[in-house]
Amino acid sequence: MIKTEKVLHLNSSKGRKVRVVREHYVREQVPCGSSLCQADCHNDGKVLSGDVTHYVVPDVGVVRDFLEILEFRELQGIVLTQTAYQTVQHTRGRRQYNRLRALLKDPRHDCVLFANEFQQYCYCPRDKGESQDKWHTRNVYNAAVWYYNHLAGLQPVVMITEDSDAISEFSALNSGVYVISTKEYLLSFWPDLQAAYDLYNSIAQTLQERESEGVEKVYTEHLPAEVLEAGIKSGRHIQGILSVNKHRAQLEAFVRYEGSVSKNTELNSDVLINGAKHRNRAVHGDVVVIDLLPRNEWKGRTMALTEGQGEEQPLEDTQSQPMPSGRVVGILQRNWRDYVATFPPLEAVQSQSRNSQKILVIPWDYRIPKIRISTQQAEALQNQRVIVRLDSWESTSVYPTGHCVRVLGKAGELETEIQTILVENCIHVPTFSEAQLREMPVNTEENPWQMDTSEISSRRDLRETHLVFSIDPKGCEDVDDTLSVRTLPGGKRLELGVHIADVTYFVREGSLTDLEARSRATSCYLADRRYDMLPAVLSADLCSLLGGVDRYAMSVLWELDAETLDVCTVWYGRTLIRSSYQLHYELAQSLLNGEEIEVPELSQLKGSQRDQKQAELLQALETLTRVARHLRAQRDKGGALELEGVEVRAQLDEEKNITALVPKQPLEVHETVAECMIYANHWVARKIQENFPHQALLRHHPPPKQEFFNHLIGSAKARGFSIDTRSNRALADSLEQAVDPQDPLVNKLMRMMATQAMSNALYFSTGACPEEQYYHYGLALDRYTHFTSPIRRYADVLVHRLLMAAIQLEEKGSLSKPFASNKELEELLLYQIFHCSKPQSTELFQCLYFRDKDSHTDERCVADAVIYAVRTNGFLAFVPQYGLKGAVYLKNREGQVVSVDGDGRCEWKAGILQRYPDRISTCTSTGTHIFDLFDHVTVRISVEPSRCHADSLCLELISNKPHCAVQPESQPAGRGRSELVQEVVRWAEEASLQAEEERGRKSKLSREEKQFRQSRTPNLYVLLQEISELALLDLSVCQIRNTEEQTCTASS
Amino acid sequence: MAGLELLSDQGYRLDGRKASELRKVQARTSVFAQADGSAYLEQGNTKALAVVYGPHETRGSRSKSLHDRAVINCQYSMATFSTAERKRRPHGDRKSSEMSLHLKQTFEAAVLTELYPRSQIDIYVKILQADGGNYSACVNAATLALVDAGIPMRDYVCACTAGFVEDTPLADLCHAEESGGGTSLALALLPRSGNIALLQMDARLHQDHLDALIEAAMTACKGLSKVLDGVVRQHLEEVSVLIRD
Repeated sequence: MIKTEKVLHLNSSKGRKVRVVREHYVREQVPCGSSLCQADCHNDGKVLSGDVTHYVVPDVGVVRDFLEILEFRELQGIVLTQTAYQTVQHTRGRRQYNRLRALLKDPRHDCVLFANEFQQYCYCPRDKGESQDKWHTRNVYNAAVWYYNHLAGLQPVVMITEDSDAISEFSALNSGVYVISTKEYLLSFWPDLQAAYDLYNSIAQTLQERESEGVEKVYTEHLPAEVLEAGIKSGRHIQGILSVNKHRAQLEAFVRYEGSVSKNTELNSDVLINGAKHRNRAVHGDVVVIDLLPRNEWKGRTMALTEGQGEEQPLEDTQSQPMPSGRVVGILQRNWRDYVATFPPLEAVQSQSRNSQKILVIPWDYRIPKIRISTQQAEALQNQRVIVRLDSWESTSVYPTGHCVRVLGKAGELETEIQTILVENCIHVPTFSEAQLREMPVNTEENPWQMDTSEISSRRDLRETHLVFSIDPKGCEDVDDTLSVRTLPGGKRLELGVHIADVTYFVREGSLTDLEARSRATSCYLADRRYDMLPAVLSADLCSLLGGVDRYAMSVLWELDAETLDVCTVWYGRTLIRSSYQLHYELAQSLLNGEEIEVPELSQLKGSQRDQKQAELLQALETLTRVARHLRAQRDKGGALELEGVEVRAQLDEEKNITALVPKQPLEVHETVAECMIYANHWVARKIQENFPHQALLRHHPPPKQEFFNHLIGSAKARGFSIDTRSNRALADSLEQAVDPQDPLVNKLMRMMATQAMSNALYFSTGACPEEQYYHYGLALDRYTHFTSPIRRYADVLVHRLLMAAIQLEEKGSLSKPFASNKELEELLLYQIFHCSKPQSTELFQCLYFRDKDSHTDERCVADAVIYAVRTNGFLAFVPQYGLKGAVYLKNREGQVVSVDGDGRCEWKAGILQRYPDRISTCTSTGTHIFDLFDHVTVRISVEPSRCHADSLCLELISNKPHCAVQPESQPAGRGRSELVQEVVRWAEEASLQAEEERGRKSKLSREEKQFRQSRTPNLYVLLQEISELALLDLSVCQIRNTEEQTCTASS
Repeated sequence: MAGLELLSDQGYRLDGRKASELRKVQARTSVFAQADGSAYLEQGNTKALAVVYGPHETRGSRSKSLHDRAVINCQYSMATFSTAERKRRPHGDRKSSEMSLHLKQTFEAAVLTELYPRSQIDIYVKILQADGGNYSACVNAATLALVDAGIPMRDYVCACTAGFVEDTPLADLCHAEESGGGTSLALALLPRSGNIALLQMDARLHQDHLDALIEAAMTACKGLSKVLDGVVRQHLEEVSVLIRD
């Protein structure tokens, strides 16, 4: 090592310039990271492949401004210099730096970091008077030359730079090292990569524009980071995440505190940020720092309902009680993602501004402000949807500046809309690469997959001893869980078994498939296609616990006391199973109900043999039901909540048109299976938490904030019920009592309100959370995790690995390799959380259904609705028949209000509205009418199309009487209250299983369609469904199990 | 601006060292003729000058002297030009007094004070340029000065700092690494016996990591002791050549 010195000029804390001397050690041996290395460099980790035509060394400016181009996976052999890397760190924010780091870590990108400044022969000290940029470029060039020589000239090296002086200075110096501009590079080396070239132009243009910016300030400047940090510590500023009100995106935004805010007790609710000035360039999702405004400037939230888009006018008279208001003084972290935006039509473009090069595009998400884009292709792109990335938002600009990354296609087309939905939900799904597929085992007819004999001997063989069966929706392909139950010899004990697909056997940690699965996080189900987390050979075949074939499994086996059903012993481990029956829910339920029904697996057998087998199966199902009821009762005692979500299923006909929207019919067997899965998850959570107290992956559900219950308590009071929200137990009890015998919907609505008050369930690492926070509020369990769906959730794969490590730890006392530390786990989980929480898209379903119907003639567009909240100019209503919620206006744009005549029909007339806490009245010349909470009314449903956003539904009041054709809520007679409640629970559970529907539907696709993942009928596109881990529901849902059910009504 | 990355993904520190590598150490003894012993030491960019007077009769009041051993008197100061911004007060501030006390404790453990009852040994250390690890530079320089003065000691006292970043212990922190607010542990070791003369740590650290950190600091100290030993031997060679002439 040789010591040199670097002189830096830094700003001191007092703002003075300070001369700092830092040591700088250089050495001869710096790993080059290329597989062509001739000098035996110590290359560990990622290595550049040798079979590319050249290596490319981007200059500092290229990495800083054009990082997105380097992110193209097609570009290979990228050598990033430390000089460039550090410049990005110093000059660009943490976000870009982290992206660069992620790029370097991602094994799918062929790029390495070369620490050129620590290489003795690469580093050149800065000359006197040399500008920093020049010095950096010289360093990068030196590194490129060294790299070329180091590889003994085996690979030509191309340096790309944006600095034209450097090109002329260096290009002729060394043969084998070419210095060219980025543009030239893309054109000559990657002529096929049109996308990269377009992106280059787009960024370059944006950069140019930025230089010629105006100076007029629109917003106040943000405070510097140190001031913010000090302010937060001292309590002067408040830190939180900005969330914009979707319905009043330009006016209202709220900041929710992060962590506990105990210092200021009067601030127990969110803080309102009113107007764009106060929001000060923050975008939905950013972590912001706010100042509270003086009390006399506090505003209330607007209580009026607003109609769709359009510029909003602040209506002073419609505000609620003033609530704490604030303004944004700084932004700690930008959480910008890729946004889908639509180019305006040409007429609008021309009138838009003095400079037609700059165009305001409208994002698909209402909450995001319009984005200013510089482009010359405005004409070509009109009415197109594009992916836009935000670059900056200067205080001089009303709108943020961005650039166009990729064109998705024309708005309104099938492919475009599906891509839009994917991008907006941050789902990135390329096809599996060949390298990944090569890792997969083969299972074809000529070459069937066989089990390993050594594996067979190391696993517990349950094939002969246990009756294993699965219960899933019809047509399910990826069966991740199976069940078994039997009475142990002696009859004193029962053995309950949950057997989960052993995905981790096939997906080794760190393999390409593993990494791909990690970045996908979950399987993703769309109406006409599905994006698997794992390649199909695993998800639909080798991992899937299909009937009648031998499969590897991870099992949890409990020995229960036959009488009291208490747990005696638990066994965890790898097993070998053969599922005897692949049942579906309806079949299982019919068996339980004692109906005569044919079990397909037994259709070959004859007479008594068949009866015997069927009796065996029935016996198992009955025992299982008994156990599940017991488990449920135990959790209920602990205070498990029964929540309510809205869920409908779509019935489809042969052409995959929606023929009807029907609320789901829950069966008891759903709950039975779900309960077993909750139980397995719980016991696995206990096991891994005991073995890894600092690094186990669990899932907790924090108790909700009390103020979120205000709406529920207020509404309940209107009907004379009191709701106790002090604990989950109290809440569950009081919800159970709040039943209106005349109207079962009241209870359902209140449960829905309770659901809305819930916070989200989250993954966490036990090392990052004190033990008392492990509690799962919704399920009333002290520890909980996700274990039962490894085929379609990555978190479960992690838990499987943890469980295996825990078993190994207990058997051998040590681990063969250390498991991920707490910190790594946290990082992984953050990613998983981010990717798992996706917005609900049931609306899309509903829109599709109503789109083709004429709302004035079609009877199906008229439905019964229940009022569940009152606003100043209308009320919010719930339509149980279709499971949709929406606003109903009592006052239109002209200021007219709804008047009700004698037989209940409604008309628009001049009049006034009067709003009370629990009712709203209209007063017109014909008389006064009062709408109470929980009143039934009749509404007409129609679709309001939108060009830039998703279509939405609107409700129109027709009559204040319940709709005559009201289908009474399907209440099978003779059911007790508890069953009724159970049913309700199941509803909630299933609500999060939208995925199922997709699965069911998907199974109907023809073979060809499946293969190409293409749908032939384009009218389905809006039917996006996702496995919404929509966390509120999720709590009760342990069960994202492959309960795909139904929707197959049409196919059956 | 993103915060400083103390340890890159490839294992390099800010100045290009690996986690366990020390800064360059250079030293000379007998730099002043007036004093009984003196030494100049550079540890990276931290430069320290140490001077030893004694053992001699106790100065000042007699009451300070101890009947069974020598009193060690240490004084630490920093040159006004030692830091990036000029220091106002070269010595006598709270930090300097604390450092003086630490030095005193360190050397009371190492010097065979019982050989000189009722007498006093003065150690004066001055930091000429501060770039992290001031305490360890002082200890190392003072050791050399004591050796130069011919005062019997149990062993060399070697001191080094160690920090902890991303689960990796870093040896011999420079100023940029120290000022980040992370853990910094200063250790003075008697390398041959492995006894610890002084151990000091300011920031918080999880107990599980403490052993690893001490281990790293000890290794660094042992490395330093070799360098110091080399310096002393070289000096002896030079002197003995002179004497032979």
